Amino acid sequence: MPRLPSSLSRPNHYAVVWCADFRLQAVLRRSNRGIPVALIDDSKRQSVVLCCNPVAEHAGVFAGIPTVQALARCPDLTIKEPSAAAETAAERLLLELALNWVPLIEETEQGMLTLDLSSQPEMHWNDSARSLLNRLDSAGLDVVVGMGETPSLARIAAQVAQERGIRLWHLAAKNRLELLNELPVSVAEISAGLVEKLHLWGVDTLGAFAGLRRETIASRLGEEGVELWLRLTGRLQRPLKPASLEQLFEEHYDFEYEVREREPVFFILHRFIERLTARLSGTGRAATAVHLLLSFSDGSCYGKRLPLPEPTLDEDVLFRVGSGHLETLELKSGISSVRLRLEPSDLIASQQTLFGAGLKNRHHYEETLKRLRQIAGSDRVGSPRPKDTHRPDQFELVPLSAEIDEPDQQAALMVEEEGLRYEVPGVKQIGVTFRRYARRVVAEVEFEDDVPRCLDSSRAKGTVTTAYGPWRNEGEWWDRGKAWNRVEWDLELKQQGLFRLVGKEGEWVVEGYYD
Amino acid sequence: MVDSGKKAALEAIRSQLGGKVVSGTEFLQERELHDTCLPTHFPGLDEALGGGLPRGQLTEMIGSSVSSGSGLIMAELLALARRERRYVMLLDVGRGFTPWSFPDQDLEVLLWVGCDNAKMAIEALDVATRDENFSLFLVDLRDSEAADWKSVRSSQWYRILGQMRQRETATVLFAPSPVTAASKVRVEVAIPMPLASLNENRSELVKRGRFRRTHFSSGQKSDRRAYPLEALQAG
Repeated sequence: MPRLPSSLSRPNHYAVVWCADFRLQAVLRRSNRGIPVALIDDSKRQSVVLCCNPVAEHAGVFAGIPTVQALARCPDLTIKEPSAAAETAAERLLLELALNWVPLIEETEQGMLTLDLSSQPEMHWNDSARSLLNRLDSAGLDVVVGMGETPSLARIAAQVAQERGIRLWHLAAKNRLELLNELPVSVAEISAGLVEKLHLWGVDTLGAFAGLRRETIASRLGEEGVELWLRLTGRLQRPLKPASLEQLFEEHYDFEYEVREREPVFFILHRFIERLTARLSGTGRAATAVHLLLSFSDGSCYGKRLPLPEPTLDEDVLFRVGSGHLETLELKSGISSVRLRLEPSDLIASQQTLFGAGLKNRHHYEETLKRLRQIAGSDRVGSPRPKDTHRPDQFELVPLSAEIDEPDQQAALMVEEEGLRYEVPGVKQIGVTFRRYARRVVAEVEFEDDVPRCLDSSRAKGTVTTAYGPWRNEGEWWDRGKAWNRVEWDLELKQQGLFRLVGKEGEWVVEGYYD
Repeated sequence: MVDSGKKAALEAIRSQLGGKVVSGTEFLQERELHDTCLPTHFPGLDEALGGGLPRGQLTEMIGSSVSSGSGLIMAELLALARRERRYVMLLDVGRGFTPWSFPDQDLEVLLWVGCDNAKMAIEALDVATRDENFSLFLVDLRDSEAADWKSVRSSQWYRILGQMRQRETATVLFAPSPVTAASKVRVEVAIPMPLASLNENRSELVKRGRFRRTHFSSGQKSDRRAYPLEALQAG
């Protein structure tokens, strides 16, 4: 049996980043660290404590105790109420800083993230975890990190870290059973009934439980026991549900007074972009669109998603996209608030091949196109391609290709080898170029033996020295109203040049000239 | 004896490989030329241009009459850009461009901008020359009147020149008469073009062409002054 490549055969590994008492920490952050604080739920008839910090716990306060009783036990207790805004901000911060470590993250529950570490070499896990812990600590959040082979084992590791008061604990695969032997069954978050039953059996550690046979557990402890056994033996795998990053990179500013000029908004936008790109680059991502949301003093709102040709972190490009759009807006009333959001996306590996060629700066190209369309018209800018028809003057404009392929040398060679006497499709290197007159040039033509001999028009006038033709062409006769029919002559006029004379709709027209 | 043997061997290799072997000196000379110019690889035209299309400069190709061969030069410049895998922008005054006259694969590197008049084309050129994605700009003024481009202010031309110098791009103006004093190089194009040339190879036609470089007199400062084309044609 062939061996799998090392990258595929490498077992998965996960980390759980857990911020215990998240709701309280989100409200407190850096403040009130040394004094007893409790978060209370005032929505019910009797106010109760939702959670409290270790100082309050030391004074006898615990989750679920009535607030009055908590205050009786700890008169210095500071009471706080939950804040949805603070929780959202803390959740975003947690997720954003965790994204600096690895890209695939699940928001398992409030204040708990599960990270897939398979994208990072094992030797960097501890350093990355410590870096994350330090950054979160400086942001005012006390978190612990547990690592393990499965999300469940990583979660158990995080529980152990929290219980032991250490910041990082790794439930390594190679000595998993030994480590589990040190852990009480209570850290596995199982029901009190199961804990009691295991205690009666004399199974006090997770390692002892993991050493039991599965059939024995299934027959005696049922589903919950089997599920715990699978968790502890590393057989309970599940795919992570990636966290939504859509609203993660967003900044918002409320003006104290309504703003009628664009300059202050540009200033704010520039500041937002600086901050957001710095945050985004830390996660290894780039912006693929800019969302601009404006609120006006008359209560109306304006929102626009401005897509980018390719993901970028270029501050100038992002600012030009936002400010350029703002410049086109007609401000009927003052702006009261501005919100900017960068839509994150994976960076495109756009490195060209060693001898590759293509657009150097797609953002600049898109801006140029936009401005050229404003000057010349949107239907007059593009890369021209003849349409698949025999009817002359039919061509379409397509977007310019972002990459230039190697030219087809073989086709050019064929022409050279075969005497350069006829046109090979796609390699029109024979004959002079034709240029069409912008306006219709009607001509009077004198014929001699059915060959034009004299021409009189506003653009060309004189004796025909040589004439090639007639070339008859027709088409779309099967489509009523679209049928066309024409006769072409290529003429050389004495001391004037080469012209194309076309007979259609009962008259002769000098269509253009060869040059 | 040894030297002559080496030379003979080198010549033999050169003849076998068809000029693909160059000496270091030749390579450096060509490289130096490439840094300042975009050679067209047509000896007559390159000689008139002073080595090729100068980077960061405006070049005028003057075809004083219909069927003088300016369109052929344009087609060959487009083919050259395709071979060298560079993007080209064509600012087409009068919108008389016909894609059927050009190989399909050459059109892949071309961005066409249809303009109503020279003023619009120069305005578009002003925007386009700020873009580093394009290395060559072609402005087709063959069907416009001199009065049309005379209305373009000199300051705009010089701003465009500044932008081109910054990005080392080249611009070629195709016109029936001189356009602006901001152009460094002006070449009069005359390619003999009988009706039989409709069946001839383009490169051969260009090789048969006559190209004459013309200059402004040192005292001429403004492009609004009449240009003595007849005098140049005469001598």
